[in-house]
Amino acid sequence: MVKPLSIKNLVKNFGGLTATDDISFDLEEGQSTGLIGPNGAGKTTIFSQIMGEYRQTSGIIELYGSDISKLSTPARIRLGISRTYQVPRPFSDFSVLENIRVGLMPDSIWKMITQGPNREREIELALSVGFSEDDLQQTPDTLSMGDLRKLEMARTMATNPKIMLLDEVFAGLTVGEINQIAKLIQNMRKENMTFLIVSHDLKALEPLVDDAIAINYGKIIAQGAFSEVISDSAVRTSYLGTE
Amino acid sequence: MGLGLKWYHFALWIGFIIFMLLMPEMVSKGTLRTIIFANFLAIFAISWDILSGRTGYISFGHPFLIGIGAYTTAILTKRFDVGVEYAIPLAIAMTMIGGTIMFLPALRIKGSYFALVSLAFMELMYQLVQVIRPDLTGGTRGMSGLVTLTRGAVNGYYLSFTIMIIVALSMWLLMRTRLGTALSAIALNEESVKGSGLSPTKLKLFAFMTSAFVAGLGGAFYVHYLGSIAPRALFDINFVFTIIVATLIGGASTIVGPMFGAFFLTFLLEYLRPYLPGAERYLIYGVIALLLYMYQPKGLYQIMINQFNRFKKDEDDG
Repeated sequence: MVKPLSIKNLVKNFGGLTATDDISFDLEEGQSTGLIGPNGAGKTTIFSQIMGEYRQTSGIIELYGSDISKLSTPARIRLGISRTYQVPRPFSDFSVLENIRVGLMPDSIWKMITQGPNREREIELALSVGFSEDDLQQTPDTLSMGDLRKLEMARTMATNPKIMLLDEVFAGLTVGEINQIAKLIQNMRKENMTFLIVSHDLKALEPLVDDAIAINYGKIIAQGAFSEVISDSAVRTSYLGTE
Repeated sequence: MGLGLKWYHFALWIGFIIFMLLMPEMVSKGTLRTIIFANFLAIFAISWDILSGRTGYISFGHPFLIGIGAYTTAILTKRFDVGVEYAIPLAIAMTMIGGTIMFLPALRIKGSYFALVSLAFMELMYQLVQVIRPDLTGGTRGMSGLVTLTRGAVNGYYLSFTIMIIVALSMWLLMRTRLGTALSAIALNEESVKGSGLSPTKLKLFAFMTSAFVAGLGGAFYVHYLGSIAPRALFDINFVFTIIVATLIGGASTIVGPMFGAFFLTFLLEYLRPYLPGAERYLIYGVIALLLYMYQPKGLYQIMINQFNRFKKDEDDG
């Protein structure tokens, strides 16, 4: 069966530093995979390459069997893969709904002009990530970190992805907010969304993923069921620095 | 199309148009001539607003675009006896090509770097028209005795107002669509525009081309109103600042704001003329612009909106 996302021998060099060192892995349809590793292991660099924000030095990235390595970021997003960022990047002067509106737009100037915004879908997305009716006209400067992450999720979901890459979704959140985001991810898993999730919060990550991939210094050091990966000695060493 | 138009939008536009159409009955010919300049400045300010006010790519070189439109039609009509009905559309097309050229650096650079490059475009054009084929461009002295489309202040006023109001209305409507939202999004966070699956390149190109279209239209009709063209007046940094300050005083990214900003600024400069005949006038408008930003950075437009909302609220409250 064709894999939603297939990474083959991915290498990324920044000058003398090899940030991604021959990484290969597949995501399974409807599965959720955790991508873990200490700071600087290369998790976000992998995300950036999958999305085309960085070009890999070598290797292939396939989306549903077709090579997307040469496509621009917007083109990849239109094929059904989307990501969130560690630091949310909202449109600062726009309301919650307007932020989501941008995600919902087709990449066609003609359609942007001739078709009005889909207000119902905007509201539906905003409410689905846990915003209340009162929040819809708020601008990002009045939102909490949790709300900004929810907004980032909503805008990402608006692009109608089949695969979502989530980068440190729990960073800077309160326990209540973590639960809210976790619930959202669980709901999307039921709808067969494929996830690749980066998180330092392994406890919060555990219930959300089926498998895990652990990396360190740009290399995969363990791969498999989440519980096995986090009990792997190499993984423990990479996090704690001791045996 | 989801333009969100309300009854008062129609009322205000129609009211404004009727008021402007009655203007020749109300004011002197001299004032009318001032308003003609305001109309043209409004066109240029709207052109600047489409590009810089929206997308945040600040153009210090707008006369580059206006100049292409102006020179193309001037050369075609004067040197090659082409009729204005062909020369003006050709001038607009040339300006749009110029807009595409100006867009190229915007693929790679933004912010103050782009602003400086755009300024270089204007300087380049200024030097080029004097050096290359002065037999065509008229060199440093420019050209005079060009075809004029109208005779007398009243006709000139009606023509300039018609063009201005068509540009203003169509651009105002265009920017109320989702396209306007997408272009504003570029100014706020270009990376996130990409991350939303939209191509910023396509959107920017559209903004440059549309801005160039309006600049070329304004530039071409402007020379055929003046009947002459002078490089020193056209490729002048003060001209750039007048366009930018008109937009900012009025309220950038609103289309209507730059239109009113252009009127406000033209009359301000005109009324200061008897007291301050020289360049000191620019000092005064600098001070006024500064005070306005301190009080309301979003410009006159926002002040009007606030007043209107207060009025509406009073009405709603009974």
